[in-house]
Formats: sequence, structure tokens, C-alpha cells
Amino acid sequence: MADGKLFGTDYIPADLVAKVTGRAKYAEDFRADGMLFTKLLLSPMPHARVRSIDDREALAMEGVMGIITADDLPETDNLVGSDRALTMEPMYQGEPILAVAAVDEETAAAAIEKIKVDYEPLPFVIDPLDSLRPGGPNARVGGNTIVDRKEVVEIKWTAQDFEEAGDSMPMGEAEVEWEVGDVAKGLEEAHLVLDETLYHQSQTHHPLETRSCMAYWQNDKLTIHVSTQSTQRTAGAVARGVGIDPTQVVVIAEYCGGGFGSKIGGTVNMPIAALLSKKTGRPVMHRVSREEENAYGRARPGFQGRVKLGFRADGRITAIDLYLIQDNGGYGRSGDFTSASRCASLNYTPLNMRFRGISILTNTPTRAAQRAPGGVQITAMLEPVIDMAAKKLGLDQIEIRKINAPDNDTTYGSNEHHVTSAYVREALDKAAEVSNWAELKAQSGQTNGSKVTGIGIALSSYVAGSRGFDGLMVIRPDGKLYVHQGIGNLGTHSVFGTARVASDHLGVSWENTEVVWGNTSRHLPHSAVQAGSQTTHAHTRANLAAAIDMEKKLKEVAARTLGGSADSYVVAGERVYRRGNRGSGLSFAQAAEKAIELGGTFDGHEAPEDINDWTKGAVAGLAGQGLVGVAKDNYGGEGDLWSFVVGVAKVEVDRETGAVEIQHYTAVADTGAVMNPRGLAAQIHGGGVQGFGLARSQKWVYDPKWGVPFTQRLYTAKPPSILDVPLDMRAGTVDLPDPQNPVGAKGIGEAPFGAGVAAVLCAIQDAIGEFDLKRSPMTTDLILNQLEGVPQPITVLATDV
Amino acid sequence: MSIFQWAQNPWGQEILIRISWDLLYLAIAGGLAFVIGHLVYRAKNPPKTAEVPDIGDAGKDIPEKIVRHSLAARLFHWVMAITMITLLVTAFFPILGIQFNWVPIHWMAGIVLTAAIIFHIIHASFWLNLRNIWISRQDWAEWKQEMEHALGKGEPPPKTDKYPVDHRIYHNAILVTGFGVIVTGLLMMVRVENLIFARNSYLLAESTWGWVYVIHGLSAVGLVGLIITHIYFAILPEKRWITKSMIWGWITKKDYLANHDPERWVVTDKASK
Amino acid sequence: MAVIRDTMAEFDLFQPASIDDALALKRRYGKTSWALAGGLDSLDWFKDRIKRPEVVIDLSAVESMRGIRETDDADGVEIGAMTTLTEVAEHAGILSRFGLLADAASKVATPQIRNQGTIGGNVTQDTRCWYYRGGWPCYRAGGNICYADTPTAINREHALFESNRCVAVNPSDTAPALVALDAKFVIMGGGGEKVVDAEDYFITPAKDITRMTILEPGELLTSIRIPGTWAGARFYFEKVRDRQAWDFPLVNIASAMKVSGNTIEDIRLVVNAVGPRPLRLTDVERQLKGQSVTEEVGQAAGELALLGARPLQHNAYKIPLMRNLVKRAIRGTGARA
Repeated sequence: MADGKLFGTDYIPADLVAKVTGRAKYAEDFRADGMLFTKLLLSPMPHARVRSIDDREALAMEGVMGIITADDLPETDNLVGSDRALTMEPMYQGEPILAVAAVDEETAAAAIEKIKVDYEPLPFVIDPLDSLRPGGPNARVGGNTIVDRKEVVEIKWTAQDFEEAGDSMPMGEAEVEWEVGDVAKGLEEAHLVLDETLYHQSQTHHPLETRSCMAYWQNDKLTIHVSTQSTQRTAGAVARGVGIDPTQVVVIAEYCGGGFGSKIGGTVNMPIAALLSKKTGRPVMHRVSREEENAYGRARPGFQGRVKLGFRADGRITAIDLYLIQDNGGYGRSGDFTSASRCASLNYTPLNMRFRGISILTNTPTRAAQRAPGGVQITAMLEPVIDMAAKKLGLDQIEIRKINAPDNDTTYGSNEHHVTSAYVREALDKAAEVSNWAELKAQSGQTNGSKVTGIGIALSSYVAGSRGFDGLMVIRPDGKLYVHQGIGNLGTHSVFGTARVASDHLGVSWENTEVVWGNTSRHLPHSAVQAGSQTTHAHTRANLAAAIDMEKKLKEVAARTLGGSADSYVVAGERVYRRGNRGSGLSFAQAAEKAIELGGTFDGHEAPEDINDWTKGAVAGLAGQGLVGVAKDNYGGEGDLWSFVVGVAKVEVDRETGAVEIQHYTAVADTGAVMNPRGLAAQIHGGGVQGFGLARSQKWVYDPKWGVPFTQRLYTAKPPSILDVPLDMRAGTVDLPDPQNPVGAKGIGEAPFGAGVAAVLCAIQDAIGEFDLKRSPMTTDLILNQLEGVPQPITVLATDV
Repeated sequence: MSIFQWAQNPWGQEILIRISWDLLYLAIAGGLAFVIGHLVYRAKNPPKTAEVPDIGDAGKDIPEKIVRHSLAARLFHWVMAITMITLLVTAFFPILGIQFNWVPIHWMAGIVLTAAIIFHIIHASFWLNLRNIWISRQDWAEWKQEMEHALGKGEPPPKTDKYPVDHRIYHNAILVTGFGVIVTGLLMMVRVENLIFARNSYLLAESTWGWVYVIHGLSAVGLVGLIITHIYFAILPEKRWITKSMIWGWITKKDYLANHDPERWVVTDKASK
Repeated sequence: MAVIRDTMAEFDLFQPASIDDALALKRRYGKTSWALAGGLDSLDWFKDRIKRPEVVIDLSAVESMRGIRETDDADGVEIGAMTTLTEVAEHAGILSRFGLLADAASKVATPQIRNQGTIGGNVTQDTRCWYYRGGWPCYRAGGNICYADTPTAINREHALFESNRCVAVNPSDTAPALVALDAKFVIMGGGGEKVVDAEDYFITPAKDITRMTILEPGELLTSIRIPGTWAGARFYFEKVRDRQAWDFPLVNIASAMKVSGNTIEDIRLVVNAVGPRPLRLTDVERQLKGQSVTEEVGQAAGELALLGARPLQHNAYKIPLMRNLVKRAIRGTGARA
């Protein structure tokens, strides 16, 4: 744990004023001389082949400057696994076919209407189970699943598979299968076995900022304003999409209005503005509308699932036998279902576990990571089942989770990995304390007129860090510390928080620390993608490593300037001086000037061997500008990094209307040492609120006959509103450092989401009894149907409703 | 002026949804033009009162009142007339801008008409002479002669069988258009709420539905034209003896002898009962 | 023609300053024109290029259509059609005498939408059936199919009552409140001023499948008059929705009740989002007059209200929901028994 003054304290992030005053410029706020606008023609069909395009009338229009289609995209060797900016075989309704550049959007839109595209409709499917039925339709020509991101293969289950299942989920041939221990034996030895069919809906990400881009070229250099979670790592994605070298790309993205995993390395549409700009010779703006965002933005894959859970009388889980069918969308296989199996394994540490899974292609938008991919789904699916078991076994909801909770010695998953730390029991205790669980528990089942109270607690986990990236910083002759960050400013503020580790180490005040971010022309180091909750862990370490390099160089510069050995100097108070004699030393400004005189490694004319080539380029760019600290995170470590969040919810369900009011929510995190308390609370509350939406209102609806979505607008998709958030929101943390990070921090982006969904679902179930449909979202109509004995209009496995 | 109405389906494909209502105006205009044309013709060529030939003793077996339409046939005709008018009013008044709750009346009238037609088919098949409505080669020849005569050429056509050829042609036109609306109309009932069929707008393929609506529409506007001319002839003074027969069932011996060939429509006491 | 959404097509914009000028424009441009109030409904249509008027007549500059005035009728008020929902929800006179309307207006969408949206627009708005709003060629759009009532349709939000080929519902929150208050809608058109009862303003597809109201192309709803008849009555409004902001009702209910002792002297009871127009429960009202306010009476009223309900595949929950809302309206409270 760092002993600095900044780490672990609240602060005002450098971008805050710009954001709250509206001065922050997002991608679509930029303008350039002669800038054109583009509009896209989207596929109206869920699956089709474009036979021909007649764009003559559009091109003849005044103000129309150019059109690109998939034929204008660079060659790629992977036409199967990943979607591209434009296509001639759309895999879902809304996939872009072509783009028109015109002097304004009105002209571009009018031009789109003049284009005739001749489509050959192809068979389509939106429900994976329909595709698995004998003779069922395939989402792609040639099959319904993709192997190794390159080959489309057909898998059909047998009629017998379906018959045997009855109302439960059928379980035919799996694509992925692993077993640890002996599940059959575990179930046999169990005191209680539950066999449940479950469903979790696919969900769009709904970032507030759509994935707009603006691009222009200066000679062979492409400058592109994008909406991305990562900065440095986005350059490579742009380069691949456009067919140029990453060194030819300048990515500018100082702010990101939400990504949630849908903009990790930028977005699929980035090449459109870039290529149209190349073709027309003018800057091109691509403002993405909400409907388009919901088409070629990304989505979380839904799961149809079946689980057999065995419990001992004391609640210990003897076996989990889990089968998941993943609704994959039309392109490369999502990792969600396998991540889900790891989360299940880690959260409940079953004595025996088997996982089987299959990922089936559907003609729905491309799937991608969404905040705790796989973790959210499995948490939402299994936590209410754990509560049912607790009820049947007469156990407290916390006790049953504690007896199964992972700790620092736990191994999990198919290859029985270790975790670096897991303080789940501590988190459960803390959650009980913060939420006043005993008092909540007493309110469970209490009625107030037509309303009944329910309480729920849920455990959610997700990966929380990676290793081995580079840190880069400069002390310039102005005496300030410039921390260069290749990670993005996603809104989590880790781009600032992780810089404070360097300030702490070097004793630099926050006022004299400048964070350099958001523009790859500003010499950014090779960094983690701003995803998977990696950055807090990865870049506290990388920046600490670079700060240590900086400290060493400060001392050497002082020794070379003032004599004596480097060891005899100390760095403190923004000076480097002889131990015990503050007067004999250099200010940072003086040290920077000396470093420039000394050259070599001191001012970046030479760089360490082990850093990434990209970072070497950044160092070279900074050469001669000051004292350069640069290093790779070589701390190493073993085991996987995971964070945990316990969510506690109290709801009131109105038995006459099915309406649910969330009245209380507590989230407690095990996320190592706390770097930014206010930011942490915002993260775990924000993730929780996102979870309320998945639990209650957020919809993903397709018409099954036409394969066309209805929830492309925020008012039909219904993510939660501020009025759905309780006033009583509490946050806590166990604040125990992770032993493998010198500053003790782990990431926390992912895990809060699942806790929010599952705690609310558990609370609703506590109020109304075991769900007759074990699925999410648990909307007002489904709740009322259950309470009133109205037959449910859908089956538990129904997708896209 | 267009013939069809098209729409873009949810996949952006152009689909046929029905006939253009321009055709309704065309049918009305066509029907009225025929009426006006005929009135002009009639003013220039006033109808002559048909002479009643003296056939002497041959006519003594012929009763004074000759049954032309049985009660069953007349009932059918008037039920059909009422339902047909109801169907046309409920179908077309909303299109002409007079809005009311037409759908239930329309399908109920359609069901009554269907039932009446089923009755008529059975009745005609077993109790009436189907040859009465058949148009033979001779009929066509006589029709040609009639038309030429009307234009001032050639001899007048011979006197007719029970049903003159223009009646037969008209009946067949009604038969075709009637079947057109009935068959398609029954199918179309599954597109709306009703008490008989469960609603299933996806019963047929989209393009098939397009043709169902087109056939229904074409038949219906055809009927508009046919009914205009039918009513016109029914109220012409020189045709009233026929109109009366559709009310009372019989014609007079005089009208019979003046308009029909007793050789071709053999009437005896027995036959006329 | 390829389809593109989310970008407005061109039109000519007029911003008349008087009702007469607005009507003159409507006369001049007829069916190619579109009257724009707050724009919350209209701009959606324009942006999706589904409704494509050549001329848009923006009424926001017509001062005489704004504001809330006392009327000669004791306790009555007249609300200009262009008065915002926020003004309606916060107006002291409406709050004190017609709290039902203030309550309903305050539950529309979000504060921003209420600041922009008008009372006239809220009652005149088109349905939100997503098949229709998606530009599908359904009956309401001039086609010959209802996509929302097919064997596979997703119709959770659709109608229980008065469907006629089209199963879309009226989504307004203020409309049922105004019907319950026996409001009069003032319509100006070629023939001068016409005043209709609120409940006669709304129509079903049986009358005209392409419209939600009686408003003819050449007419404007200029104001809404609420008579003093129901001022200070016992009111109840409740809106059940999926989320607590920016959401249309799954079902809403508005009632005005005059109670003497515990006896219902008179009542008007209106439910919306269950049919193509606000559904006034006249049979239930008749049944309730003279009855006591009890749970049993409320329950019986709820059951009676459901006569004739025809659920679709996904909306059967609206049956108990509507029954319970009627019960709660009689009871006068939401949660409390």
C-alpha cells in the first residue's frame, strides 16, 4: 500500500469542470473546414445478400461527394469471425451496407433514399434454440456456430434432445465442456438438488454518447476523433480498419460518454469516416444516431441456461452442473458463456463442477463484452436459485453465501487457477453491517396495504486487473510532473487516479502533476485496453515502475551535477537533495534542465530495451524535453485478479399492480486498497443502477416473424431512470490490499453490475415467492401475472420479448 | 391514375397491397357513362313496343301468368341485392370519405351473401336448369346480331329462350366477380377480428395476400359497374315487366309472347307451376 | 427506395402568431401541412421520415393559445392548448381545484419533456404502437394488416378494448384526467368554433383507423375548458409503468368522485392505454352511484369494468391491472387497504 497523501483520497479530476459545464468536446463536437457528413444505408433485413446496388441517382445529386461500400474496405483475412464497417451480406437488421458523404446530413439522407439495393433475403433466426432444432434455420450460410473465429459449422440437436427436456431446457451436444471433480457423485451426495431452467436476455450497451467519428487526412497521416474507451490501443484498431500502419494514425478521444465494453478499442464504424475522407479529400463527420447505435453498437449475449445444483444440509454446494446456450449474434464467438462458468465456479467454489456450453449464431446485433461479460448473466441467473435453496434449507441468505465463498486459497475454473486475493466473507459481513441486514431481514415479507417488502443479497465477481504494461512520465523544465497515460478517459477517472501513484512516489503535489491523455500524438505509452477492469491494477503498477525509474534518474542527475553517489540523495518536496541537507540539491525544474544537458536515458534519447515498441516511439517523441521516467511493469505475480461486490436490495412490490420500488441499495466491494473513494462509490452505485435496469425494465425485443427490433430507442428499451434509483444508496469496501500490487489496488468496473441485477431479483423473489419464470428482466407484467395467477404469455426460455 | 397500391413491407420490399381506389372512380364513371350512352342511344332510337304475334291455337295451353322466378329464386335475388348493396356501401363509403364502423357490417353481410350463394348453387343445381345460364355458340351469334341490329345493321335477333343472352352474360359476370369477392372476402376475414375465424394475418404469404386484396378489389369495383347498369335496366320502362317478375314471380302471357320464342322457352301449365 | 431514419427531411416552416393565421395556413396547405405543438410526437415522426409534411405550422408563437385563465363558469378554467405540461402541473388553481389533472400532467415522461410538451399535444398525440411507429404498412398507416395482432406479435402494450383491425392504444396521461373532469375541447376550423366533450374528442379505428381524434386536417384544438362541476371532488390518478420516468403508461386511471358521507353521489371513471381512446367506464359509474365506498364495491366495480376485454397474446396482465386500478380508484388510495 502506498504511503502517499494522494492515493486513497478524494480529488477533483482534471476533466470535471469541462464535463459539467459542457465545454468537454466529444467526437461529434469537432468541426473542420470543408467537413462533409456521412449517413449510412442499413440493411432492412435480418439476413440477406446484396445482389446489386444502384447508386447513380444518388451520386448525381448536388452535394453528394462520395459513396463507399464493403468493396472500399481494406483486404482482410478474417471475413468470418469479425464484422466490418460495411458488408454485402448483412447478418442482422441494421448492419451497414454503404455510406454516403455529402455536404450536410439532409443531403446524405435524401441520397440514401435514392439508392436501390437489390437484396436476396436469406434464412434467419433470432432464437438459438430454433437454430438447434432439427432442420432449424441457420443464421449464416453454412451453419450456426463459429469455431476458432474462422469456420462456420452447423450443429443440430436431435428431436430426442428436445423431447426429453419437456419444459426444461434441452441439452444436446455441447461445444465447450469441462468438469472438475465428479458432478454425478456430488449431486448424489447432496441433501437438496435443484434443477432449474433459466434465462437472461441480451442487452444493448446504451452509452449516452453514440459512437460518432470525425476523420481527416494530412498527407498520409490520419487524424480521427472517436468515442473510445482506450486511447493508445485504439490506434491499432483504426489502422487495421483503414489498412494503414498504426504510426500513421492520430487518435483523439479526450472524453468518452460511456462504453461499458462496447468501445474497448474504438468502434467498428471508425473506418467509414476515414475512408470517405480519403475518397473525397475532405474531412468527414459521422454522427451516429440512437437507432444506429443500437444496430452496430454492441450487445451483451443472452443465455438460455439450465443448472443442477446440489447442496449439503448446511448449504455447502456439492455440485454445479451448468449448461449455457449463448445467443451469439452473427459474428465471432463471445467469451461470455465461458466467463460465466468461471464466475459460477469462483462465486460458489462448488466441490464438483461441470460446465457445458454452446454459442449459437443469431441474426441480431454483434455481441461484445458488456461490463462483466458473462458475470452479470450468470449472477442474475444463479443468485435467485441460491436464495431458493437457502429458503428450503432454512438458512440465512448471507450464511449460505459465506459457506460457499471463495478466499485467498481458492482455486476455480477448469484449470483450477488461484486468485491473488478474495475477501468475500469480509465483504458479506461488511454488507450486512452497512445495509443493517438484521433490520432489513425483519422487514422481509412485511405488508403495507397492497405492498409487500422483499430483501435480497447477491454476490458478484469479475476479473480486476492485468500486468506488464508501460509507464511514461516527464519532469519538464517548468518543474511539473507530466504523467503520460495511454489508457482512456472512460469516465471512471482511473486515467487520473493511477497517475496519483507516481505523484505520491515522487512527492509531487497534485497541482504540479499534469496528466497527459486522450491524444496519441502526445506520446502515450503502451497501455492496457480500458476494459476488463484492468487499468487500476495495471497502471498503478506501470506508473509506480516509471516513477521509481524517475526517482532513480533524479538522484543520478543530482549526483552527476552536485557530486556524491546517487544513493546519498533523496527525493521529496519536489526536490532532489542530499539526505539531511535540503539546501544541497536541485529543484525538479533544475533537474529537468540538467537531464536535457545530459541526454541519453535521462531525457529520452535512449529508452530501456524491455518496453514496448510503441512506448519507445513515445519516448523518442519526448526526447530532449525533460527528465524522462519510463519503465515496464515487471512486478510479475501469479494468479488471477478478481474483485467482488456484494449487493443488498430492499424492494416493495405492489401486489395489485406488479410495480416494484427499490427502496434501499447497498454495495460493498472487495477491490483491494481503495484508490479513489468517491470514484469507487460512484462505480459500485453506477454499476448497481445499470443492474436495476436489467432486473426490472430494460428490454430487447424482436418481432420473430420479421427479425426486426423494436427497442432501438431509449424510450422503448427502457434503461433505468434516476427515479428508479432509491434515495437510500450506500457504499462500502473491505479495503484490504491485494498482496500482488505494490499499492494494493484492484479494478472495480465490472463486478458492481451483477450485484445490482441479482440483489434486486432476489429481493423481488423474496417478496412474491419463487418465480414461475426464472428470467430477467422481471417486468411488471410478469410479476403481476404470477401474483394474479394469469398464465404467463411466454415460456421461461423465450428470447427477444 | 394507377391500378395497384403498393407499400414497403418491414424489409423495405415493395409489396402489392390492393387495387388503387382510382379504379373505384373508374368503375362508377364507367357505369354512369354506359347509362348515359344508353340513354342517348335510347332517345335517338326509342324502344318499340314488342309485337305480340298471333300464334293461334298454339297459345291456348299457355297460362295468363307465366312463372319466371320461383319464390326461392326471388328470395335469393333480393337477399343478394340487399347484402351486395350493403357490402358495397360499407366498403366504399369510407373510401369516399364517409366514416363509420363498417367492418362488422361488411363481414356479416358477406357471410349472409355467402350463405345465400351456397343456397343458390344448391337450388340451381338441383331444381333449376343450369343450361339457362350457359352461353352457347348460338347465343354468342345472336348477341352479335343483336348488337349489329342495335347499330342499325342487319335483321333483329330472334326471340329468346327464358333468359336472353345479355342476361346470361350479366349473370356470368356476376358469377365471376361474386366468386371473386366471396372467396377472397372469406380469406380476408382472418385479417380482422370476427366471431367466426381466429385472426391470423400471416395465414398466407405476403404476396398471396396482395393478390387476394387485388382480386377482392377488382371484383368489388367490377360489381359497382355491373350493379349500376343492372339497376338502370331494371328501372327502364320497357324492361319493367322483367323487374316486376323479380318481385311477383310471373310475367304476362303477352310479355311472354312478345319477347320469347315459345319454341325455345316451352311453357305449359305444368312447366309454369 | 432505401429507408433511412433519424434524420429529418425538408419541410417549409411557418410560425404564425395568431390562430387565424394558423388556420389560414392550414386551409392553404391542407393535408400536406402539419400543426406542430411541443414536437415530442411530431419530431419523432419527422426524424424517422415516416410522416413527411411539406409544410409545418409551428404554433409556439400563437400567444392566445398559451396560458391558463379563469372562466365565467364558477371555478372553471380554460387552458390554452399550447400551455406546457409543467405549467398545468404547477398551476395553483389547477392544483387546488383539479388536482387530478395536475397529477396526471406531472407523471408525463420527464421534466424536460413536460417543459416542452403541451396539454394540446399530449391529448392529440398519436399512438406508440411500435409496429406503426416503425413505419410498417399497417391499417393505421393506410395498409391492410395489423402486425401487432398476429400469432407472433409482441403486443404487451396493446389494447384490451375497442380494437377494430388496429389494436393500438391511446398513450396519453392527461386525456383520461380531462375526460374524468368532463372537460370541453375547443376546436377552431373553417366553420368557426366548435366545442366538444372531451370524451367525444377521441375516436376508435371503427370511426377512422388512421386518426386518434376527431380533429380534421383544417382544424386546430385551441383550448380546453374545465367546468367547475368537479372542482374539489375526490380525485384519483395512477399510472403504472415499467420505469418511473420517460415511460408511457402500461395502464393509467383517472377518477373524479363526489362523496357524501361514505356514499358515492356521482363519479366519472376513465382508464387509458387499454384501448384506442380513453375508456370511460359509464356502466361502472352507473353501478357505483349511491353505493358506499368499500373494498367490496371497488372489487365489483373492477370486475364490471372488464366486461368485453379481449386480451392479446402478451397483454393479459392488463386485465388484473385494470381491475385493481379501478378498485384503487374507488378506494381512493394506492397501496393502503
